[in-house]
Amino acid sequence: MSTTEYSLEKRRTGIADLDRVTEGGLPAGQATLILGQAAAGKTVLALQVLARAIEGGEGAIFVSFEESPEQVRRDAASFSWGAELLASDRLQIIDARPRISAETAGDFDLEGLLSIVAAASAQLDACWIVFDGIDQLLQYQSSHKAAINQIRRVEEACGQYGWTLLLTGKATRDADAPAHLEGIEFLLSASIVLTAEIVKQQLNRSLRIAKYRGSGHIANELPMLIDDHGITLPYHYADENNDVEATNERLSVGIERLDALLGGGIYRGSSLLISGRPGTAKSTLAGGFAEAAAARGERTLYISFDELEGPYVRNLESVGINLGDPINTGLVRFQSLSAFAARVTEHFLAIRRLLDAFDPHCLVIDPISAMLKASATEGANMATEQLIDLVRRRGITTVLTSLSGEQDPEGEATQGQVSTLADSWIVLDYNVRAGERNRSLSIVKSRGSAHSNQQRELLLGNQGLDLADVYENGSEVLMGTARAAREREDAAAARRRWLEWQQRRKDLEQKIAQTDKERRRLEAMMELEEQEHKESERQDERTREQIKQRRDPELDSKTPDDDAKDRRDRD
Amino acid sequence: MPLLILFVTGNAPRTQRARANLAKMLEQIGRGDLGPHEIDLLKQPQEGLTYSVFATPSLLKTDDGGGGSLLYGDLSDSDRLHRFLADLAMT
Repeated sequence: MSTTEYSLEKRRTGIADLDRVTEGGLPAGQATLILGQAAAGKTVLALQVLARAIEGGEGAIFVSFEESPEQVRRDAASFSWGAELLASDRLQIIDARPRISAETAGDFDLEGLLSIVAAASAQLDACWIVFDGIDQLLQYQSSHKAAINQIRRVEEACGQYGWTLLLTGKATRDADAPAHLEGIEFLLSASIVLTAEIVKQQLNRSLRIAKYRGSGHIANELPMLIDDHGITLPYHYADENNDVEATNERLSVGIERLDALLGGGIYRGSSLLISGRPGTAKSTLAGGFAEAAAARGERTLYISFDELEGPYVRNLESVGINLGDPINTGLVRFQSLSAFAARVTEHFLAIRRLLDAFDPHCLVIDPISAMLKASATEGANMATEQLIDLVRRRGITTVLTSLSGEQDPEGEATQGQVSTLADSWIVLDYNVRAGERNRSLSIVKSRGSAHSNQQRELLLGNQGLDLADVYENGSEVLMGTARAAREREDAAAARRRWLEWQQRRKDLEQKIAQTDKERRRLEAMMELEEQEHKESERQDERTREQIKQRRDPELDSKTPDDDAKDRRDRD
Repeated sequence: MPLLILFVTGNAPRTQRARANLAKMLEQIGRGDLGPHEIDLLKQPQEGLTYSVFATPSLLKTDDGGGGSLLYGDLSDSDRLHRFLADLAMT
């Protein structure tokens, strides 16, 4: 197998995180330089690559120029993959330590070594070769140029025999090459620099790909951890799931009225930050969320910083939230972590491993601010970004709580920018009024859903949490006793108004009754008057009749005038 | 058990120089009788593992305990070589 300048082949190292940052592994059939000061993890990295190769059925050769084979075995045995590596007959460890008494008289080369390794690799069918601490041998070279030429020769041999080779060497922090091998970084197409430094009494490790010719790679200094599983780059885990479906499914946060305010709950797979001062019921709210998830039959990973399971569960019980049962049935996995026992990167890694092992639907971290306080050279930002990215990719609905200070709703979460990254943010607080503290809740943001921005009172009872009705009094929201007093006042006022209205109604009814009576009286009067009127008319009529009758002629005596008139009429 | 073993790789220039330099020095100190044993690591890579010699050319001076002292290089540094072989010199 040979490689040309134009087609870079990569060989996976089997370390998922490293393969991710190198975009597929290290250059196959070539040498990669691994640099770092003492105890930076060079040998561990090399051994781990070999362990993965052995697991994958390949052969591996470890040539040690610095440590005895026994020491190398001890190194490997302390890791989870060590036993399998050491038990394999496809691994050969070659003790190539220069003799202590050795002297130099003129030029020498590594032809002998290359020949030995070639024979061994042919026998084992080994593709991965490690030259660990080659600078130990090359320091015997008479000149710098001669040493560099040896490296060039090693690189040639890789192409010739199809080896993918790791070359480790010591270097100070800023150097790109071991002290007497300056210039080899130009020779090889890839180099990785490991560092380990003490910051705030904490050992901070990092890995940087200083060079990778012809390949895309992440060039930043990446936080690195070494634990039982060897080397990990916690923030560069190969999580391939890049297109998470955004669902419209809403999950209850455990309080019906709060769900309503959030437009039906929080979206599945979203993240919710609950921040507030101590004692504002953050844990209670978080616990309620986990309880609601368990009621749906979903698993929740519950991470508590600096608070043990027993007291935590008991405290929640006192406000009517039962985590004990779901913990017993295995729906809730409660994990207590000590914030200051580890660095933020280690916490992140621990959480990632718990997520891998438990595969929950929901995650609660109470409080994430404690985790962010754990010191490290890498900022808390990275941890939160990575964490929120991780849960998002996996579709895990996440509730994070954060401690905040007076007049500072973001508080400690600011340093991790959690409030920026989270999809929804609820702020809990106290309102002090009339000598009384009352808990309040307001929704600061909730991405992708309409939500109420009204501050509300949060009620804690032994039945759990609830939200009280909003009592607006002018421009403020009344809570607690003030609200109760106001409620009573309002009720009394309402009753008064009702009574007044009843009274008024009676009055009016009476008035109507009275008016009715008067009307009847007047009607009667009118009727009477009408009758009287008719009567008098009849009287008048009769009178006129009587007068007429009295004027009858037979009864009347005529006057002379009348006689005369009568005569004229007859003529 | 040979007293001197010269580890070489085929007929590389350095190997040839080392042979010549060693022969010259042995002659000089009056030990031309010591025919150094040669191991060609290209032909017998296993021997490199046996003796823990990886750099070539190099000269191994064995002692009775099975150990020995080692001199790296083509032996062109005659002062060094002379000191290295001093205890073998004819007195």
